[in-house]
Amino acid sequence: MEVHLVSESLKFMVLGMGIVFVFLYILVLLMRLQAIIIERYFPDRPSEGAPTSTGESEEEERARVAAIVAAIREYRKTQTKGS
Amino acid sequence: MLIRYLLPILIFLGASSVWASEPAVAAPLSGVGQSVQAKEEHVPKPLTVLLKDFFKTTGIYAIVNPSPEARNGQGEKMTAFAQSWGRIIMFIVVFVLFYLAIVKKFEPLLLLPIGFGGLLANIPVVNMTGPDGFLGIIYNMGIGNEFFPLIIFMGVGAMTDFGPLLSNPKTALLGAAAQFGIFGSLVGAAALSQYTGFVDFTMRQCASISIIGGADGPTSIFIASALSPELLGAIAVAAYSYMALVPVIQPPIMKALTTKEERRIVMPQLRKVNRREKLIFPLLIVVLSAMLLPESTPLIGAFAFGNFAKESGVVERLSHEMQNSLINIVTIFLGLGVGSKLQADKFLVLDTMGILVIGLVAFAVGTAAGVLLAKLMNRFSKEPINPLIGAAGVSAVPMAARVANKVGAEARPGNVLLMHAMGPNVAGVIGSAVAAGVLLSIFN
Repeated sequence: MEVHLVSESLKFMVLGMGIVFVFLYILVLLMRLQAIIIERYFPDRPSEGAPTSTGESEEEERARVAAIVAAIREYRKTQTKGS
Repeated sequence: MLIRYLLPILIFLGASSVWASEPAVAAPLSGVGQSVQAKEEHVPKPLTVLLKDFFKTTGIYAIVNPSPEARNGQGEKMTAFAQSWGRIIMFIVVFVLFYLAIVKKFEPLLLLPIGFGGLLANIPVVNMTGPDGFLGIIYNMGIGNEFFPLIIFMGVGAMTDFGPLLSNPKTALLGAAAQFGIFGSLVGAAALSQYTGFVDFTMRQCASISIIGGADGPTSIFIASALSPELLGAIAVAAYSYMALVPVIQPPIMKALTTKEERRIVMPQLRKVNRREKLIFPLLIVVLSAMLLPESTPLIGAFAFGNFAKESGVVERLSHEMQNSLINIVTIFLGLGVGSKLQADKFLVLDTMGILVIGLVAFAVGTAAGVLLAKLMNRFSKEPINPLIGAAGVSAVPMAARVANKVGAEARPGNVLLMHAMGPNVAGVIGSAVAAGVLLSIFN
């Protein structure tokens, strides 16, 4: 029996890409939903923080990096305007 | 002084005594009924005959004089080419792998063990790839049954931070688009085997080759050992080589598909993610894959378990182990086991060339699809999206995200896209696991 490989694989492509997109799209919706729920009912209290000391320093580190990046970006903006 | 002369003679005597004891072992096999008593019988031989016989057991002899009776570790007869020139060519191939790993620093953690496994797999006479050989045992222990890739996935899960994805969920779609590399090249592989006489792949083989486009080593090995173990060596080598070549393959495609203005887009700062979101996320993907695609749950389940252990914050010891010792040990075994599939008689076939070509196309197509969807999303989204982060939708964590960051920084110095690119990057891992699940569900 001769199987037409190309038309078979095209069907697989439609099925596969369909499932992958549906899966990740549902995941996007669920992520948004859980973000809304968690932000509303269980917000991170500043006193609570992270349970371990390493987690805390990681958060601080991230905030510091963000501040530095923002500062550099602002600085570069003014530089390009000036020149 | 005396020892210098005596030592070679002693070694030689040792070697010949090993040979001399061989008939004793062989005798019960040849005549079970008649010669139980005669097993200790020793046939005296002159030194010249001993030397000649010893020479026949050397690797040089086996390579120079291929025997029609020689069999590989799987008990199949080997062609004269595979025994002689094939082995020499494979030695050159593994030296190329060593060069790439050591000098070029291409995925050394895998290419080095794979290369060495390939070197051992091609040693004549001993057949280390057989079921009782060193490499064969490793292969049967965890690759033939798809076990090692899952442990690797667990470790990768424990190393992955889903924060960037959670703070900008829609970038997950880019990780889906890049899986077009898998299914696009599936069609390509099918067309190649149908319309050209160049290669002749079955549907299962096409599927396991195209998974290279997922740019994810463990997933590729998982699918290849499930669908077409005979192609495992070539597929794993292609997957890891191209993953290492991401900084070479991707930038030209990314630049060709975007304008300079698009590459200069600055993305807004990511919002801070609540710790509970990160904790719930792994459970979310397990439940989702259990409901939609149970075939993908081995991969996604292992991945989610690693991530859950990390985010829970209470099993630091377990998560540390998954990220370090466990994944390292399994990487050694995985590399050697995959290397065992680099036997000359299995690897030096036209199919391997086909796999290398299709794998490269798969990578390119996946990158292009990610970039194109990101362009489209940028048109319709309220917040600007830099199309470069779409290229990170092929998994290859974190290399692909770094490449997106670098190309972005070339267009606009100081523009940091790394965290934005990590979103599609980790979504790509989930995406290729889902694609793998779809392929498995089709064929099982």
